[in-house]
Amino acid sequence: MDFPSGLLFGALTGLLLLSPSRADAARPYINDKKVPENRHDLEVIQKHVTDSLPAARKATVCIDLGDGSGSGVVVSADGLILTAAHVTGGVGKEFTVIFEDGRKAKAESMGLISTTDAAMARITEPGTWPYVEIDREDSAHLGDWVYSLGHSGGFDKERGVNVRLGRLVQVKDSTVQSDCSLIGGDSGGPLFDLNGKLIGIHSRVGQRTQENMHVPVREFLKNWDAMQKSEFVGEGPFAKKPEKGKGFLGIGTLPRAEGGLSIDKVGRESPAEKAGLKSGDIVLKMDGVELKTKEQFQDLLKEKAPDDRVALELLRDGKTETLTLRLGER
Amino acid sequence: MNARSIAAVLLLATGMASAAQTLETAYRTNGQSVQSAFDSVRAVLQDSSAVIQRGRKEIAYGTVMSADGYILTKASEIGDASDLSIIVGKKAYPEPQLISTDPTWDVALLKIPAEGLTPVRLLLDQAEPPRGTWVVANGATSRSLRRVQVGIIAANAREIPHAGGPVLGVSFEEKDKKLVVTEVAEKSGSATAGVTKDDVLLLLDGDEITGTEGLAELIGEYHVGDEVTLTIERAGEKKELKVELKGRSDVFGEEVTRNDMMSGAFSKRRSGFPKVIQHDIIANASSIGGPVLNLDGGCLGMNIARATRCETFAIPASELKSIAERLMSQAK
Repeated sequence: MDFPSGLLFGALTGLLLLSPSRADAARPYINDKKVPENRHDLEVIQKHVTDSLPAARKATVCIDLGDGSGSGVVVSADGLILTAAHVTGGVGKEFTVIFEDGRKAKAESMGLISTTDAAMARITEPGTWPYVEIDREDSAHLGDWVYSLGHSGGFDKERGVNVRLGRLVQVKDSTVQSDCSLIGGDSGGPLFDLNGKLIGIHSRVGQRTQENMHVPVREFLKNWDAMQKSEFVGEGPFAKKPEKGKGFLGIGTLPRAEGGLSIDKVGRESPAEKAGLKSGDIVLKMDGVELKTKEQFQDLLKEKAPDDRVALELLRDGKTETLTLRLGER
Repeated sequence: MNARSIAAVLLLATGMASAAQTLETAYRTNGQSVQSAFDSVRAVLQDSSAVIQRGRKEIAYGTVMSADGYILTKASEIGDASDLSIIVGKKAYPEPQLISTDPTWDVALLKIPAEGLTPVRLLLDQAEPPRGTWVVANGATSRSLRRVQVGIIAANAREIPHAGGPVLGVSFEEKDKKLVVTEVAEKSGSATAGVTKDDVLLLLDGDEITGTEGLAELIGEYHVGDEVTLTIERAGEKKELKVELKGRSDVFGEEVTRNDMMSGAFSKRRSGFPKVIQHDIIANASSIGGPVLNLDGGCLGMNIARATRCETFAIPASELKSIAERLMSQAK
């Protein structure tokens, strides 16, 4: 099939114009000077930060986990988020993200790299979200001027996102260090180059305020597909691998002659209770598999880990309905 | 060369290779080579930022507000101002006078016998410098040399409410919905007003106090610093006492958070400011009180608190002007 090439070109130009930061922005000369030498050099840094900051701020979110918070950044219009593995803590976790203007959205963690502290998440509500571009060319060098954003200490609408300036002071394969100071709550937040392109995600801090570690974006790009598929990659200190058999539903059942299992107990504050299961409901199927005995049901559950979703087909008041819930931790 | 020394050389080489990926300290954001670009601003700091010492120890910085020696600083760092000396320019002035303080802003006005000082040039037309604006403050210092510390405006200008909200500062037990005082906190407004053990709390500004929750609800309507009329019953007699509601953290101390443990020497008082601008200069508790300058050497404000390891608050220039005028007029 032939497309008129002019139209295709036009569509592409449109896309480029829509993107939040200039895709073709040149590398600022200031990065190739050892140090800024005069007033003009300093003003160039200042202008780059103030120009690119509005888009960067709009896309930076607070990740509200209920009992703590971190930060993250949206990298696509449909709500893909990059953050740190130690912020999401695992695959398939639900949380709320808060944009700087106070707008909230539900989100869910996807895959993570436990070895290097990279994680992906997505906004699960439909919408078009403000986002930033990733530095796909991996063009940041040692000594480059950078700035960090983060919802330090949790979301604060009056304060807004914190921004801090620094330079890349150490570059390694899977870690970069900057002297942008960081504190709790900044974890998972973005590190930008002077053009407002994402070059890293905040990971951890050293004893000294000038020691701040970030996961470089190349680590994300390298593992992009695995993270998209919600895989848990690597053995490392930043997230706990889900353990099969530790998933918790919280019901007691009795076998039923006509098939299925009859619920006779629902644990207080269990995932089952939260999902609205009641004593007297009949469970006919789990994840499409017909239930015949308690043992068979238990074996199916043993294959599940905390945070896994299960679909239960229920018979309630003579009608069947399907309910999906998320297992807790035993 | 034996095998062992070859191994040592290899190790050294590996060490050097990785060192090449590290930026020398001098080139880092607050490194000495970067600081030279700010030399013109450093000159302003030399003249208009004061170094306040107790003995040989630097305890705070100050901001020169007038040619004849009025200097603003952070009140809670200097205490009663005894045994202080102040360096402006290269000259030391022993025993500054403490003229007055403003508890709302935690600011103290000091006076040294001087003439022809260079006061800061307050930037009054810019209510809120945009995020990303360079800021320069006094960093490490010696008697003859100020060193700059640099950063950027980091967040929205805003009020920093008192941590913890207002409290009466008494403990009590509830007997038949009546609250009987069991203890009065030493630093509370209740202690100052003369509330004592066994007083029964009856009314707050005329509203009946019904139980613990009722009292909490009533207090929740007020702000730190408000004065309330507390009606109590003591030995069968009713009494009215004027009580200042103080901040919970001022009375009972502050709860230390995980962020605080990462923060190091943050200021003793870092909340309860009507308005601040925030920047990312890593200040010590003892380097608070000096001016915050822009690239022109104009004064955006005065540092008033190191809030966390990466957040420092400053009083904005226009607020600083009115505080200075108020305190200086009280002096005359």
